[in-house]
Amino acid sequence: MTAPRFTLLTRLPPWARIAAGAAVVIITYAYLIATRPTSPHGVGGSAALLALVGYLLGSVLIISGAMSKLTTSTVTLFPVAITINIVIGQLVRISGLPVHLDSIGTVLVAVLAGPAAGAAAGALSSITVGMTINPGSLPYAVTAATIGLLAGTFARFGLFRRVPTVVLAGVLIGVVAGVVSAPITAFVFGNAGGSLGQSAFIATLQVYGNSMLEAASIQGLIADPLDKVVSCLIAYSVLVALPPRLRQRFSFVREHSVFGIDRPAAVPPVRAEAVR
Amino acid sequence: MTTMFFQSGASPVHRLNPTTKLVMALAVTTTAFAIPVVWAPLVLLLVVLVPAVLVAGVQRPYARLLLLFSAPVVLVIFLLQGLFFPEGTTVLAEFGPATVTSEGLLFAAQTSLRLVVMLGSFLFLLLTTHPGVLMSAMVERGMSPNTSYVISATLQIVPAFRARAQNVLRAQQARGLDTTGLRRRVRALLPLVGPLLLGSLADLEERAVAMEARAFGSTTRRTSLVAVADSSAQRWARLLMGAAAVTAIVVNVLGVVR
Repeated sequence: MTAPRFTLLTRLPPWARIAAGAAVVIITYAYLIATRPTSPHGVGGSAALLALVGYLLGSVLIISGAMSKLTTSTVTLFPVAITINIVIGQLVRISGLPVHLDSIGTVLVAVLAGPAAGAAAGALSSITVGMTINPGSLPYAVTAATIGLLAGTFARFGLFRRVPTVVLAGVLIGVVAGVVSAPITAFVFGNAGGSLGQSAFIATLQVYGNSMLEAASIQGLIADPLDKVVSCLIAYSVLVALPPRLRQRFSFVREHSVFGIDRPAAVPPVRAEAVR
Repeated sequence: MTTMFFQSGASPVHRLNPTTKLVMALAVTTTAFAIPVVWAPLVLLLVVLVPAVLVAGVQRPYARLLLLFSAPVVLVIFLLQGLFFPEGTTVLAEFGPATVTSEGLLFAAQTSLRLVVMLGSFLFLLLTTHPGVLMSAMVERGMSPNTSYVISATLQIVPAFRARAQNVLRAQQARGLDTTGLRRRVRALLPLVGPLLLGSLADLEERAVAMEARAFGSTTRRTSLVAVADSSAQRWARLLMGAAAVTAIVVNVLGVVR
């Protein structure tokens, strides 16, 4: 019998851990924006630390909250989704396209199983990539979690029913993802994390008088929406091609009729409120 | 392309409890980012990480991987922030739009060293710790078994998935799919991705039923087949490393060293 160490963590109910994690992430970002860490001395010192620690703590809280309340069918979806992220991400990287497409699986989980599951899938995906391919993806776990959280939320409100709204969802996800990852790119990686083209673009922005954080944010705001629109569209087309029986196994899909009215007979008549 | 970093071995470092090494990686990274002295990460690298790597006997893959991951980033940081640092005031040299400032060089050096230490401490953890053992140690500490399953299963699925991708690609090529040239390769992505995703999602149902039948969804606390060794010395070491990291953060917040 080993003494559990994370007593404070495990004692909180799952939803409180997810909420606390999201709050930590938002506060971290707000603080980084508000303080505008541009002291001429020791630039980026505490900003890098805060970005790392705050985002890490937030991601861990979100993972621990979301993972403890999943059904078995959702859990089996995770490894496949993360594998999709990894393998398609690599295929695309080899093909030399200006997109990443390393969050298709995250969007799949989010649309099928809801925002919390999506956030956990994203964060765990970054952690797995960090453990096997490139440790440099570990600090970006929070971006992946944000993508999953937003995709699930948009699915909840019916944006994944038709193509135009899927595009809208992709744009919104991309905007937020670009902004959230900017402090990591700027302060932890000194704006040098991405491809050579990205760095050249950031250099141009810095020459025209943007601060490091502004340059990283602008770069993210331009590159990320395109990437996320394509990711969401691929995830959407896969989900639509799935047999409805498979989709309807997920209670999140049934409760919020994520894909519109798929099979009216398969929807349980009442108790949609009571289950939550 | 997926490299499992783990190098098996019988050194004392390999036998350490994975949590100890995880705490060490986290503490070293935090400390490197918290102390605002430029050469502090270098000291951590030489005093903590290099001896640990030498004891573990994984210095060759360690040096190769660390160079592989950090060299491009360090190079870009120096080019980018050495030449175009926005907050630089002390100009050392000017070439058209590029200005070399001492602040820029200082920032580039500091960020590069911190990054090297961050990558280095996690590479140390991953080279000397099998992911499966790390996961079971984390479950012993109260991490959800779901999380452990997801990561362990992913590491096993990726090779199978990649083989499946190869099969789909070959099948499409046998039907006349052309994959030469950039534009054709982009167009080839779609007939490749579709069957790949649909096929792997269709397998899920059976797996879920099989796992449910083996009490995967059970919420009671599980016992572990393999107990991960631990010692009171390691418990103290973890506490000390945690304390050191917290001290470094406090020093950073209070601005003592500056």
